[in-house]
This record gives sequence, structure tokens and C-alpha cells, in this order.
Amino acid sequence: MTELYQALAQGLLIGSTYGLLALGMGLVYGVSGVVNFSHGDFISLGMFMCLGLYSALSLDPYVSVIITVPVMTAIGALVYLFLIRPMVGHQFLMVVQLTLGLSLVLQNGILMVFGGQPARTPSIVESKLWILGDVVLRVPHVIAFVISFALAIGLYVMLRSTDFGRSIRAVHQNAHAAALMGIDVGRVQVLTFALGIGILALAAALLLPGTPIQPTQGLRYTVITLLVVVLGGMTNFVGIMLGGLIIGIAEAFGTIYLDGAIGLLMPYIIFVAIMLFRPQGLTWRSSK
Amino acid sequence: MLEIEGLTAGYGGIEVLRDINVRLGDGELVGLLGANNAGKTTMINSLSGTVKPMAGRILFQGEDITRLTPRQRVERGIVQVPEGRLVFPEMSIRENLLLGGINSRARPQRRQQMEKVLELFPRLGERLAQHAGSLSGGEQQMLAIGRGLMADAKVLMLDEPSLGLSPLFVQYIFEIIDKLHADGLTILLVEQNLNLTLRHAQRCYVLERGQVAVEGGADAVRNDPRTKSAYLGL
Ligand SMILES: Nc1ncnc2c1ncn2[C@@H]1O[C@H](COP(=O)(O)OP(=O)(O)OP(=O)(O)O)[C@@H](O)[C@H]1O
Ligand SMILES: [Mg+2]
Repeated sequence: MTELYQALAQGLLIGSTYGLLALGMGLVYGVSGVVNFSHGDFISLGMFMCLGLYSALSLDPYVSVIITVPVMTAIGALVYLFLIRPMVGHQFLMVVQLTLGLSLVLQNGILMVFGGQPARTPSIVESKLWILGDVVLRVPHVIAFVISFALAIGLYVMLRSTDFGRSIRAVHQNAHAAALMGIDVGRVQVLTFALGIGILALAAALLLPGTPIQPTQGLRYTVITLLVVVLGGMTNFVGIMLGGLIIGIAEAFGTIYLDGAIGLLMPYIIFVAIMLFRPQGLTWRSSK
Repeated sequence: MLEIEGLTAGYGGIEVLRDINVRLGDGELVGLLGANNAGKTTMINSLSGTVKPMAGRILFQGEDITRLTPRQRVERGIVQVPEGRLVFPEMSIRENLLLGGINSRARPQRRQQMEKVLELFPRLGERLAQHAGSLSGGEQQMLAIGRGLMADAKVLMLDEPSLGLSPLFVQYIFEIIDKLHADGLTILLVEQNLNLTLRHAQRCYVLERGQVAVEGGADAVRNDPRTKSAYLGL
């Protein structure tokens, strides 16, 4: 029984961050129709930037976000303006190819700078534990959970009740009509992409403490994010957060109850099982 | 107020409109008629800036706006109520109206403007929280017009507002158009419905395969044989 609670708690905590990663991807898809296959490599980039900042200035990853979030937001804006925008409107597969290419560039760039050895970035809370009865929680996971949910709620409120948020939803629902309102559709697309990458910088720091990192890990994060986004219904806010929790829990159950490779496959097995019965995703209606 | 001079426009190098000359006077209600595919929507989108002209120029209140972005044109008060209404289906009536007034010129008086719009369309006010996608066609048309008015339009361009509506709603929408005109708004009314438009517009242009075939007052247009041929494609 303790193991069950342990798996559930751990899964929920990590799953919230997966949900946050997926929200970024869903927003970008919603306004530009772009699925970014270098998503996970931007997470890597965020993590390695934290590593670099630790090596150079002994900064804790939680402090480094002050630098990594604005820098990665700017990188996101530039990548969209100069690489992705020229491709939008062309074949979907061309954009996919472009972002896959970007993934390789990021991976190899990180490899050149940091080498291929797995590395760790220390943090003051790294090994701290929080014990609730029989359940042991790692403090970095608790922090990740709280910040991810706070950010998700913040995003939700932004989308619902600010002009920028309504512009994002308007572009998603009908880009032509949005342009006729005087909304600069191109600008909304750039800013949304930049926001999505900025969120990754924050999520990278949340996932970092206690996790060994290596340059090739990006694809794994991309795949996890894709699972969550598809499960949640691409542009459904609540669905995506729910999808994140489910994938997080599947992963925790896999590693706690099952040995080795089969345990690591758990999120994929659960994903396939859900998609077999609900190909439209978790929610029955997309609330855009 | 609005002058189109020698406008040629189209898609991907293919000309849809050729050498169009159209004028809208201050406070005028002008009809733009034509059969399917004549190029009416292309023309209205050229005025909104979502279709780029290949030649010619567009003047608004004396200013050359040919190269301005759609956003800059909305900010100057050139506002389109698009064909098929294109309300934002997953947003409430209130949010649709707020988006109508999102441009930098209209935004400061958005609340007051919304009150005026809801006075014009009380039916929208009764269901502000309802999703636009769940409204009837007629209600969506009211919302689309209301959303356009929220932009504090100086020229309102309506693209086939009667399309797909019941006769009762068509009558209602045209009453609204007359009322807006009486209040001094300059209106470009795009329609396929010849008789209805001739009854309401002061002047009309008839487009035929991308060119102005006939122009003039209601009687002149009604009696011109080219009007019939433009419609029947003879
Ligand atoms: N986005 C587009 N891309 C390419 N061709 C287009 C596009 N929109 C319209 N056309 C073509 O331009 C021509 C004029 O179309 P337009 O929509 O302007 O006509 P319309 O007079 O508004 O017709 P309707 O009464 O059916 O609305 C048509 O031949 C149409 O196929
Ligand atoms: Mg049309």
C-alpha cells in the first residue's frame, strides 16, 4: 500500500511538470500549426545552461532561471522569426523536418560545449526529503509540482482574461478573423513560440536537481511531451494537464513496480492503451 | 472617403480583380454586387489588407493606405464584417465583442462602445456568457456586426450579411444597416441579392469576372442590360 501511495505521489509531482512542458507545445501548435520536434532539446539546452552557470558562477539552478528564462525566450523568438516562420504555410512535413534538424543542431552543439559524459548540476535542495507518513517525497519534486501548477494556472488566467491571451485564442480559432480585428497574427505567433521556449527554460530547472543529464536526452523529453499533448487533445488546456499527470503516474508506476526496460516503457504502454479506446484524446470536446 | 484607383489583385500571381475603380463618399451606403466568384470578397479583403494588391492604390481620407498592414487599417477605422460571419466559436459573446475593440484606437472606450452595441442588439446582451458557436446564424450575424462596430469603424464593410439567413432575419439585418447609415456611418455592402441591395444602397457597383461592369444609382443599375448579363454570366 505504501508503495502505491509513493508511486502516485511521485507520479503526480513529476506529471505536473510534464503537463507544463506540453502546454507550451500545445499553445504553439494552436496558433501556428507547428509541432516542434526540437522541444526536448530546448529542455536540454535549458538544463545545460544551468550547468554552465553553476560551473562558472556556482549558481543554483533555481537562481539560474533569472538568466535562462529571458535568454531562452529570446532564442525562441529568433528561432521562430528566422527559421520557422519562413516555413509556415508550406507542407507540414517540411516544418517537421526543420525542427528535427534543429534538434540535431542543438544536440551536437551541447555535445561540443559540454562533452558526452553524463553530468549533474548540484542544488541546495537536491537531496532534501519531505516525509509524509509512509510516503517520502523529494523536495525538488514538490517544488516542481507547486511551480508547475502555479504557472499553469497563471497561463490559464492569462488566456482567459487578458487581451494577449484572447488574441492567442482568437488566432487559434480563426486566424483570418483575428487579422480582421487588427490582431497582428505574425506577432502573436512569434510571442507564443517565445513564451513556449521560455516555459521550457523554467521547466528545465525544475526537472534538473538530482537528475543526471546528457546531450542526447532531448528526444526522450520530446516524446514524453508529444504523448501528453496528444493524450490531452492538442489544444485542450485541462486535458493537457491531466495527460501530464497520467504520463507522470505511468512512469512512476513503471519504475517502482517493474524492473528495467519494461518499467521505462510504461508511459508508452498506457498511452497506446488509452489511444486505442479514446483516439480523440482524454476529453470529449476541445475547449479552445 | 475611400477611393480605389486601378486596383488589380489576386492570389499567387493569378489576377482575380482587374483595374477596379470604386469610390465611397463620406456617409454613403454603397452596394457591391456580383455573382458567385465575381471577386467581391477579394475586393473587400484588398481593402482590409489581407489580400495584397498587384497594382493600383487605395486612398482613405486622402492617405495612401495601399501598403498598410491589416492592423494599421483597422486602427484607421476600416473594418470588415466577413463573409460567413467568422465569429470566434469557442469564445463568449462578451469576449467576441472585446476582441472587436482590441485595436489601439478603439480599446480605451471599449466599455462604452459595448453598451452602445448591446443597445443596438439587445438579444446579444441577454446572453453575454454564451459561446458564439452555439448561436443561430442570425444571432451570429448580429454578433459579427456588433464585433465590427466595437472597432469604432469609420467605414464598415459587410460581406454578404444576408447569406443563409431566414427572410425575417434578413429584414432585421437590413433595418440595422439602414439605421447605422442614418447615424452617419459609411458602409460598403457586398451582396448577391440584387433587388434587396438596390432598395437600400444609394449607389451600386456590379462586378463581373473581376471588373466593374456597371455602376450608378439603383434605377440605372436595375435597367442596365449588363447587370443581367453579369448575373446570368451571359
Ligand atoms: N484564397 C484564395 N486563393 C486562391 N483563389 C481564390 C481565393 N479566394 C478566392 N479565390 C478565387 O478568386 C475568385 C473570386 O473569389 P471571391 O471569393 O472574391 O468571389 P466572391 O464574389 O466573393 O464570390 P461569392 O459570392 O461566392 O462569395 C474565384 O475564382 C475564387 O476561386
Ligand atoms: Mg464572397
